[in-house]
Amino acid sequence: MMESLLKLHNIQTHIGQFHILQGIQFEARVGEVSVLLGRNGAGKTTTLKTIMGLTPASSGSITFLNEEISKKPTYEIANTGIGYVPEDQGIFAQLTVEENIKVAMRKETSEAFERQEYVLTLFPDLKKFWKKAGGNLSGGQKQMLAMARAFVNDSKLLLIDEPSKGLAPIVVEKVMEAIMEMKKRTTIVLVEQNFFMASRIGDTFTLIDDGRTVHTGAMNELISDDAMKHKYLGIG
Amino acid sequence: MDLLISLIINGLATGMLIFLLAAGLTLIFGLMDVLNFSHGGLFVWGAYTGVFTYIITESFIVGIMVAILTGMVLGFLMEKLIITPVYGNHVQQILITLGFMLVLQEMIKVVFGPNAIPVKVPDYLAGSWEMGEVIIIKYRIFIIVVGFIVFGVFHYILTHTKIGLIVRAGVMNKEMVQALGINIKKVFLFVFMTGAALAAIGGMLMAPYSGSIYAEMGMEFAILGFIVVVIGGMGSFSGSLLAAILVGLAGSFMAYYIPFLSLAVNMILMAIVLIFRPQGLFRMAKE
Amino acid sequence: MKTSNLVSKYHVLFLIILLFLIAFPFVADSRTLTILFTQIFIFSILAMSYDILLGYTGIVSFGHAMFFGIGAYATAILLNTFEPTIGVFIGSIAVGIVLSGFVSFLVGLLTLRLKSHFFAMLTLAISGLLLVVAEKWRTVTKGNDGFTFRAPDIFKDRIVFYFCVLACLVIVFLILRRFVQSPLGRLLIAVRENEQRTRSLGFKTLHYKVIASVVAGVIASLAGSLYAVSLRFVNTSVMAMDITLDALLMTIIGGVGTLVGPIVGSVVIEFAQHYLSGLARDFPIFERWIIFFGIIYILAVIFFPKGIVGSILQALSKWKSKHEDRKIFALEKDKEHSP
Repeated sequence: MMESLLKLHNIQTHIGQFHILQGIQFEARVGEVSVLLGRNGAGKTTTLKTIMGLTPASSGSITFLNEEISKKPTYEIANTGIGYVPEDQGIFAQLTVEENIKVAMRKETSEAFERQEYVLTLFPDLKKFWKKAGGNLSGGQKQMLAMARAFVNDSKLLLIDEPSKGLAPIVVEKVMEAIMEMKKRTTIVLVEQNFFMASRIGDTFTLIDDGRTVHTGAMNELISDDAMKHKYLGIG
Repeated sequence: MDLLISLIINGLATGMLIFLLAAGLTLIFGLMDVLNFSHGGLFVWGAYTGVFTYIITESFIVGIMVAILTGMVLGFLMEKLIITPVYGNHVQQILITLGFMLVLQEMIKVVFGPNAIPVKVPDYLAGSWEMGEVIIIKYRIFIIVVGFIVFGVFHYILTHTKIGLIVRAGVMNKEMVQALGINIKKVFLFVFMTGAALAAIGGMLMAPYSGSIYAEMGMEFAILGFIVVVIGGMGSFSGSLLAAILVGLAGSFMAYYIPFLSLAVNMILMAIVLIFRPQGLFRMAKE
Repeated sequence: MKTSNLVSKYHVLFLIILLFLIAFPFVADSRTLTILFTQIFIFSILAMSYDILLGYTGIVSFGHAMFFGIGAYATAILLNTFEPTIGVFIGSIAVGIVLSGFVSFLVGLLTLRLKSHFFAMLTLAISGLLLVVAEKWRTVTKGNDGFTFRAPDIFKDRIVFYFCVLACLVIVFLILRRFVQSPLGRLLIAVRENEQRTRSLGFKTLHYKVIASVVAGVIASLAGSLYAVSLRFVNTSVMAMDITLDALLMTIIGGVGTLVGPIVGSVVIEFAQHYLSGLARDFPIFERWIIFFGIIYILAVIFFPKGIVGSILQALSKWKSKHEDRKIFALEKDKEHSP
């Protein structure tokens, strides 16, 4: 069994007076892609935000690299080595592609530039629109920029929220290839509604329903379990 | 023609002073969603400490330095003691920053006395140039030049340095900036202190321009600053320069032609902008 | 049953205070104190009107002084122009109220759709504008120098005026209490708590905010009219920021959203002001008493946001629930012990 990188245990999160997460647990192991699945509003996005400290957990524990991070402020969590690609991509609309990446790059080392070069080979479009404002990119390009931005730092873990959302099938294909490629160098936690995509790139899955983890296991199990797919995802 | 030119110069000079005050106000608002009603206090404290130093040392430059220092120290204290405790609560923010404004204003009277203090233009900036019919007062040109230099320097910092990039990114999406590993609180403190220093410079430059300083001038200029921030668009640095010039010019022309309306025109301008274009005249809608 | 019990307790307390205030001018033969109390009543009315905005609707206005000023000028100008009779006095109050109602309606309609920041700023600007108008329109207002005028003869007797103002205070208090307890008042509280949600429930929150601002403006105008008569003098200081700040301070220190709080606040502030300015003769630092208030106010906003009355109520309810817990606990214990 591979080494555990991120571990959530009985996470509870309140937003205002609403109790959104009521017991999330899962584990992401080094080098794997873990997919969070579940219906709309099940709490997948909030789970990622809670890991990042954007909607801090009210109780439970999150350990990353054997360190408790659930009480840390967002920026420290990011600096422990977690890259985040939010659902809306969080592009700085009036900054250029170059500037978006520059803001993200914490240390301008040769290694960071090497990673930047690498990510630009994955997304040649970004290189083409290097001086274009982030707000003027297409949906797919924004997604790529957001992923590139998370990747330029030496992140041990990437949290990616619904990268396929609102993209044309051919673009989804590209994004998927890029994630497969990134997987070689980092660990990924992915929220994905598109089951086809999730099943192809995921190693493990975590099913979330009503703010709770209801199932977790290897992706192959889920692929062959039609009853579970039907119950929680409304497919199959 | 000569009248036109002197009205324009007048308006530009006033505009620059307002700009120095509004620049900090707008960035602080854009970055942290904090409208600082005590910003005028920095303006007046900059003016008083600077002028006192100027009178004692007889050096205008040293006076400006001290004003900057005062601005930064006060900005630091203000951010730590007044802004941080009520961060995120708008009503409390408004109440507390206004309260602090009052304390700052009254403290001026305690420390420096309640009377207005006359201030002279330093010798090397006194006098005027005559070009035919047109008389140009040197000190006004000096203010305009300083204003443009400040704008240039800060524009460069905002567009060409890492910290400037972070500030601009923070205005657009501060959650994402944090998720990229940047401690936005530190950035904010930096911006706050810088904005405070700019306001203090504005107050100091204002002193010889108006000929005297008094405790209430902070609030008076702060109101003009708010108007500029609204017209220019909250969070827009360039917008605040354009709006400040607009307000300065409108004030100077109105004061000459329709004095009764000189204050009203800016208020009306602000009301119209707020009602029809709340994102400001010079700013694209936030995406 | 519990609540009715509670209410009647408060009623008794109010009655005792009211009786004390009625007896006061006869018992204590002090002109200074009578005048001070009259002043307190007037500012209580102003502060309560501010509480409708700040405490109940959650709006911060920096322009409340303009309504106070409109009332003060309406009364002063009319009494000065016509005969100083009671009829003219009452008429002038009505004129002030109509004018304030109109201005607050207009200002509210234009500004209340804005976010709190902008609203605060705009009210600050508009009242600043009105102050300038009052200063420049010398033919009517005599500017900053102001003018004295004759009040109705009956008010020459300080005690009569004292009772007149006290009556106004009680009436305003009762009306405003009815107002905040009415369905409309509940809606205002809902706006304060969560405007978005109230709007999504189908309420036009702007309407309710405008109503609140008109009510507050009208009451403030009444306070202004009384204030002018109490001084028999008016100048532009009735429109100045200081008046708004006084109202703000009294409301915050007394306790926002309680109506009683602003009254307590005005007692505290007026007494403190009275004694601090007395101290100023010996210690000049007290001339700048506003610094002390400013600091207390800042500390109150951070550490004591409920104010005096709010904190007392909170402590009371905490104590009561603890008390009740203990009772229940005791009952349960009894049950356990009973065979």
